[in-house]
Amino acid sequence: MTSTRPHIHEVSDLLLDFAVSLMGAGTHTSRVARNVSRIASSFGYGIDIIIFQKTVMMTVTHLEDNNVRHTSVKKIKPTALNFSTISELSRLSWEVYDGHLSIPEIRSRYNRIVKTPRMSRWAVLGLVACANAAFCRLFTGDLVAMGIVFMATLIAFYVRQEMMNRHANHLVMFVVCSFIASMIAGLTAFTWNIGTATPQIALGTSVLFLIPGVPLINAIIDLLEGFVLAGTSRMINACMLIVAIAMGLSLSLLVLGIDKL
Amino acid sequence: MMTTDLLIAVILDGIFAAVAAIGFAVISNPPRKAIPVCAILAAVGHGLRYFLINHLGLDISTASLFAAFSIGLLSLWFADRIHCPAEVFAFPSLLPMIPGMFAYKTILGLMKFLTDTTGAGQTPEAIAGILRNGLTTLFVLFALVLGVALPILLFHKRSYMMTRLFRPERRNRARAAQ
Repeated sequence: MTSTRPHIHEVSDLLLDFAVSLMGAGTHTSRVARNVSRIASSFGYGIDIIIFQKTVMMTVTHLEDNNVRHTSVKKIKPTALNFSTISELSRLSWEVYDGHLSIPEIRSRYNRIVKTPRMSRWAVLGLVACANAAFCRLFTGDLVAMGIVFMATLIAFYVRQEMMNRHANHLVMFVVCSFIASMIAGLTAFTWNIGTATPQIALGTSVLFLIPGVPLINAIIDLLEGFVLAGTSRMINACMLIVAIAMGLSLSLLVLGIDKL
Repeated sequence: MMTTDLLIAVILDGIFAAVAAIGFAVISNPPRKAIPVCAILAAVGHGLRYFLINHLGLDISTASLFAAFSIGLLSLWFADRIHCPAEVFAFPSLLPMIPGMFAYKTILGLMKFLTDTTGAGQTPEAIAGILRNGLTTLFVLFALVLGVALPILLFHKRSYMMTRLFRPERRNRARAAQ
């Protein structure tokens, strides 16, 4: 195993790319650390890692010779959540551990995983609209309210996809999408007075597809596992998004003159 | 006693929660084979929570804890079978239970309290409302994550290896002994 040990720089670069992709795809901190150290140990290296919201810092150390060590830092690019990537990279890390793959082989498989195309955006759009309509039903909204929420989500999520493609600031994006969704729901349910018995619920659930659920869950997991700094920064990030949602919503309430939600 | 009305209500709740879970899950691009599992887990979890709240009269955070615990147990069982990390389908199935409405109502309440120029709305009731919504958000969130994580903590070692395709247990033990 030790005779063909790859150069420490190669290992370090691979591990950093791995960690950055996992973080960008939306994993909690301890899984990133576990996966990366699993790969390192298969090459006979040990790692110490610090993970922040925007950077990963890692020291790779030779397990038998402590003088051979390499520290490097890499930026985490903001990418969309991607659970397929997490699943596949996690599996790859076990295969490396069990099967001792070579660095070029891991590289090529890593590249293939990262470049796997996402689900078609139109399918996602339709499913999200259905989901939010079903969600409206869970909050005891009636059939008309569900229809209103479906339309509002369809349009607002389309805008969100377009803004994401143009790399808009995501706080701005959340304010705009929340405003559009609640404006459509508010206009149809209150102003034009389409026959729904539950206009409040239609308006209230129309923005719920924006709630950053996965970041919130990751934040709590990090806090519970003792990665307090990472957990806090995730929590604050998610809270800012929720404030943005509330801003968009209160803006439409103001425009439409609706007092009580 | 469990009546048919309640049973139908619970099942309907589960079905709509499943639709919601699928839609909210696909935003984070899960593996194809994980999507039906998400739907099943969300239906079980949300249906259970509905039952606990409406029939047994539990509060929302305790009910969420039990619902999430059931999701956590089931997700470990599924993770062992389709070789995905348990969180890949445990998290999306929690999404319909995330207290999103409580969260933004907290912020809306704060904004309203702050921007009230007449002072007529700055009542103790307004503060109580903000606190109630905010605390509910926090407690439900912690309950959800604790509930899901508990089974994973109980079966600690196993859950890390769900994505492992073949498990050379013996070789590992030998390596650990060295």
